[in-house]
Amino acid sequence: MALPLPPGLTPPEIAFICEMELVTIIPRQRLEGLELLGGPLKPLNPPQRASIPLWLALLLKRQRRANIIPPPWLSPHSLAAILKFETEDSPDAFSPPPRLPPPSSSTVVPLSSPFLPSSTADAAADALPYHWLELGSMLLEAAPDDFDDADEVRKLLRGLREVRMAKLRQGVEVLDAGGGFKMNGVGGMELGEARSFITGVVDGLRKIGKSREEARKERDRENGYSPSQDYEDDEMDMR
Amino acid sequence: MDIDDILAEVAVDTMPRETRDLQELTRAWVAERIAPEIMAWPGELMERVLARVGRQIELVEDQTGNMDPKTNFRLIVVQTEVERFKFLVRSFLRARLKKIDTHPFHILAKHTESDASHPLLSPAEYQYLTSHQALLAAHYGASFLSQFPNSLQRMDDTTGGISMVDKPDEDAAVFVRVLRDVGEVAIEGTDKRLDMKRGDVWVVRWSAVRGWVGSGDLEVI
Repeated sequence: MALPLPPGLTPPEIAFICEMELVTIIPRQRLEGLELLGGPLKPLNPPQRASIPLWLALLLKRQRRANIIPPPWLSPHSLAAILKFETEDSPDAFSPPPRLPPPSSSTVVPLSSPFLPSSTADAAADALPYHWLELGSMLLEAAPDDFDDADEVRKLLRGLREVRMAKLRQGVEVLDAGGGFKMNGVGGMELGEARSFITGVVDGLRKIGKSREEARKERDRENGYSPSQDYEDDEMDMR
Repeated sequence: MDIDDILAEVAVDTMPRETRDLQELTRAWVAERIAPEIMAWPGELMERVLARVGRQIELVEDQTGNMDPKTNFRLIVVQTEVERFKFLVRSFLRARLKKIDTHPFHILAKHTESDASHPLLSPAEYQYLTSHQALLAAHYGASFLSQFPNSLQRMDDTTGGISMVDKPDEDAAVFVRVLRDVGEVAIEGTDKRLDMKRGDVWVVRWSAVRGWVGSGDLEVI
């Protein structure tokens, strides 16, 4: 009964999480409201737009009960601008993720992807959200007729993916035993692909340097754990 | 703060309980799939989720006989969602079982230490762990341990400074996303000081951040 999978998420699991993202649809049939487990679903009245989870949108699309409106960042124009930014303006770092909503009050559980509306019709057009690659491929596969120029989008997504994978691979050079790398803007599927390699390198290096680290820990404890002042700032940005 | 920010804040605070529970369950599942250690049992959350899933399944069973195509489609939607929830819950429990099976003594000790109001394991998990270990111990005893000298029969020996009890690699690297600013995080044994701000994604040692993951300031991704 125990799960036979190693730690980390498999690609189908990442896609499963991505299917919780909200997308905007134009229903072609009426559907009464439903009390779903993940919150109530408002009645769908054509041609009023509605934001629903991706899994439901795909279900409706397959049965031709709705059209999906691709998020603004998934347009050839936005993708080309982001690709240009990734290649020319910031050749070493990922493009920044979408702007976060203001922090909610501390009593409420803070929301994060896939529950932030980063892929609805009124999402930001200038940034790739966490699940950009998965969401893009799923929409292109299930609803190519809802895009103005699906082939162009496909081409740009492919370009973006290659540019960003190259950056991830280059970023490997900064890895060391301590960990502590910032990777803002990384995508879910990219992380899933690179996870075992990156954590493997960090863990492996840590094991090699273990005795030195143990000695230091002991010294720190004897000195009442006062961090030395002369440390270099080697916190590398992989952004 | 502009009008969009104010609207967004209102939207978060009026978000239905069900949606927030789904967010929490998803987060707990991902953490359990990735983190090297088992997390505290989210008792209240699981109670609410399981009760809702149970009610929804009853609803589906009640209406299955209905042949009206409209109701039929509604049922397909409801059922698809129930299956998604069942997958989440099952995968979450199985990920926990795997950890319990891998490091039973370590987890038992941690469970005993943990606060009774927020236990590490659910009652069912605790029962599974203890009865499984009792069976295993009886089996080992009967098949070979009883033939060893008395001093070598223990399964949790700590003589010679080396503990027989296996524990997970608590320093394993994980990816985390910062949900609330936590300030500076120090990594013991190195010179690293990380300034963690909301929205950042970091690769960091599990041991350095587990407290914040537990309190919900960071999430494992």
